[in-house]
Amino acid sequence: MLRKPFLAIAVSSLLTACATTSPVDSAVKNDINAPVIDHTPFQSTYQIPSSSPTIIRNATILTGSGTQLESAAVSFADGKITAIGSEGDMPEGAVVIDAQGMWVTPGIIDVHSHMGVYPNPSISSHADGNEIVGPATAKVWAEHSVWPQDPNFEKALAGGVTTVQILPGSANLFGGRGVVLKNVPSITMMGMKFPDAPHSLKIACGENPKRVYGEKGGPYTRMGNMAGYRDAWIKAQAYDVEWTAYEKKAASGDKKAKAPSKNPEMETLRGVLNGDIRIHNHCYRADEMANMIELSKEFGYEIAAFHHAVEAYKIAPLLAENNICGVVWADWWGFKQEAFDLVRENAALLDMVGACAVIHSDDEIQIQRLTQEVAKVMSAANDMGLNLDRARTISWVTFNAAKSLGLEDKIGSLEVGKNADVVLWSGDPFSVYSKADKVWIDGALRFDRKQPHLRPTSDFNLGIVRPEGDRP
Amino acid sequence: MKTMTRILACKVMVAAITFTSAAIAETVLIKNARVVSDQGIADQTTDILIEGEKISRVGTGLTASSARVIDAKGKPVSAGLFNADGQIGVRELGSVPATVDASADSEHFTASLRVADAFNPSSVVVPYNRSLGLTHSLIQPDNGKSIFAGIASVVSLGETDNVVVADAAMVVSLGERGSALAGGSRAAAMATLRAAIEDTRDYIENKSSYNAGNRRSYSLSRHDLSALVPVVKRQLPLLVRVERAVDIERVLEFAKNERLSLILSGVSEGWRVADKIAAAKVPVIFDPIYNLPTSYESLGTRLDNAKLLHEAGVTIMFTGMGWQNTHNAYLVRQSAGNAVASGLPYGAAIAAISSNPAKIFGLPSYGEIKRGKTATIVVWSGDPLEVTSNPRHVFISGKEYDLESRSSRLRDRYYQLLKAE
Repeated sequence: MLRKPFLAIAVSSLLTACATTSPVDSAVKNDINAPVIDHTPFQSTYQIPSSSPTIIRNATILTGSGTQLESAAVSFADGKITAIGSEGDMPEGAVVIDAQGMWVTPGIIDVHSHMGVYPNPSISSHADGNEIVGPATAKVWAEHSVWPQDPNFEKALAGGVTTVQILPGSANLFGGRGVVLKNVPSITMMGMKFPDAPHSLKIACGENPKRVYGEKGGPYTRMGNMAGYRDAWIKAQAYDVEWTAYEKKAASGDKKAKAPSKNPEMETLRGVLNGDIRIHNHCYRADEMANMIELSKEFGYEIAAFHHAVEAYKIAPLLAENNICGVVWADWWGFKQEAFDLVRENAALLDMVGACAVIHSDDEIQIQRLTQEVAKVMSAANDMGLNLDRARTISWVTFNAAKSLGLEDKIGSLEVGKNADVVLWSGDPFSVYSKADKVWIDGALRFDRKQPHLRPTSDFNLGIVRPEGDRP
Repeated sequence: MKTMTRILACKVMVAAITFTSAAIAETVLIKNARVVSDQGIADQTTDILIEGEKISRVGTGLTASSARVIDAKGKPVSAGLFNADGQIGVRELGSVPATVDASADSEHFTASLRVADAFNPSSVVVPYNRSLGLTHSLIQPDNGKSIFAGIASVVSLGETDNVVVADAAMVVSLGERGSALAGGSRAAAMATLRAAIEDTRDYIENKSSYNAGNRRSYSLSRHDLSALVPVVKRQLPLLVRVERAVDIERVLEFAKNERLSLILSGVSEGWRVADKIAAAKVPVIFDPIYNLPTSYESLGTRLDNAKLLHEAGVTIMFTGMGWQNTHNAYLVRQSAGNAVASGLPYGAAIAAISSNPAKIFGLPSYGEIKRGKTATIVVWSGDPLEVTSNPRHVFISGKEYDLESRSSRLRDRYYQLLKAE
């Protein structure tokens, strides 16, 4: 059996891949002598395959935006949702699926995954998620570690997961940039990269950085952690001032303006200060989350989400007030001191006070069953006295998850005009007995339990798993 | 007179037992229960009468004038659930070594390390899991410096008499872990095991000369050899952790040749040699939720391992879910439910988390809802294998426990605070 003595350190960071609105670009355009800076390297090469218009009818539909529709239809074409509820106009050549007894949800989104950076098999050659060389490594990008052949991707797809945020680990105060991927088979990382999704920066609070660096020059304590963040942000502010001054000069046509030297560590932090890169902050304890909110105010940036927020329920109103998502497990606890105060109703208590509740996996097994994780919290919370239903709680792994990524205008709910990321379930997705039967990403059928050619398998599996056997 | 005396004596005895193992000996009548067994969830409802520690009657239309009545309202009632691999009571907080007694970095005490000597009945993990429907677990030690991890115990999650089988199995790791512990080769791990068994046999026959210092040196310390004596005498099963198909075959062969009683744990690739495991009548412990090649010894891992092993006739026992099999040991039912989703018959999944471990570890009165069995039972809000179901009543040996835990108290505190805002 697998034993994790304590949680494999996981750091989350949101990266803004495409800081195209930065004033630097205009500066570059205006001054042929200025250094050429590509702000959008490693651009997505993801292509939407051609697909037939599709209508799923007679389904029970959880829209992700708070509604459950009975005997309803959802239609999509050219990668987008075209009708929800009633069928709309039947397009030429539409594939029609009678989903009597079946359920439909938006594609499931996991905002905390290490697929590709801690892939299977779990061996040291594959351990590419933590740059444990120093406590501040905002310069590293998780996407550069992603191995697209990780056999976990296809299993997450079979669990209805269409979008994932891949984060660096949590050994470091600044773990590096995270990336949002579409869960499609690809030889390259760029082929999975979600076009125009913001990057994230993963920050880690608490036990992990001090455990890893306590005997290696620090931080040794939680106060040392805080000093480490503040040191970095003070430098980042100075860097930002320097570059902003230069960019202004260059933009005004000052040909003598000399560009300051580029610093990849500072580039990431400056991206946060400019609002291009979203903060996904690994932080268990309520008091530490409150401190991190103060820190963000001191330096003028926003926090998108606290991850592994085991104690989020203790400061639920504070999270609501600051528009920060609480990203939590349904029930993990006990692997370390800062994970001692679990309540199974954590996500529900966040939801109750109007905070953005998200369930994440951080795990190769749970990512395959995120709806079951939601179901556990829902049932515990209803025993406590709430009256939560599937229509509302599915948002914890769909709409709210999209919101934490800054992608709620594109994914996370079945609404006309949004991306057609759709899962057809064999039954109630909150039941252990149901499975995702078909999964569409941008309207293209990417997984079909009944069609072997639509059950992708990694290169790694070839010669290990027999074609007739697959790996159920 | 004689009869009367005997009855009195019996009553005194029962009272004494009752007093030590369950603070309150109640009579409880559970009405309208749908009994969950290895045959599935019964279609018809029935009543269950609990008197003292035991289920005294199961049938329709039961009455008992003095009984406290619980109306199950047609909901499922199962035996308390069993997780066959966890560390409740020996792993409180994973990263706090002072609270972890699951392994020891000692070369001189390996096979002789007993979970029963370390188990903490006051662990907060106990009431938490009990309140969620788990009543028993096999507590397996981890390896320290040897392929021998020590002696696993079966514990009950009540408030008293927790260690119900102190010496349940001798735990050994082969495969990748055993190889690393033995110096870097599977062959070294097998040689270590072989040497230990040979030395134990020699020790049994030459104990006095060994103790007098007149015998060759052995591969293990005197205490570790002593701990292996019941293994070679087939009084204590050898529980071997092993994943790869061929490693399973080798250990089956070894146990046959050495006439050892064997249990396998892990068995990611068990499905590939299911017939051989079945023929050897060796029971297995595993988490049926795994389907990824997490290591090079588990490349063949697949989600229908449970179905295929069961179909071959292997006695299966479950752990789970995933690595949270200690703090959330109760989620073994989620693993079991997902095994059903992958083709395992429902009743077989229930047996794997109740009656099968009862049989294998020698708890004949636990694990089923039948007359005469111990009243260790759970009244559920729905199908116990569904994650949307929760316990409504939990009994261990006839005592009903409240559903309180550290977690529920934290919840109650903050729910009230947040509601008041």
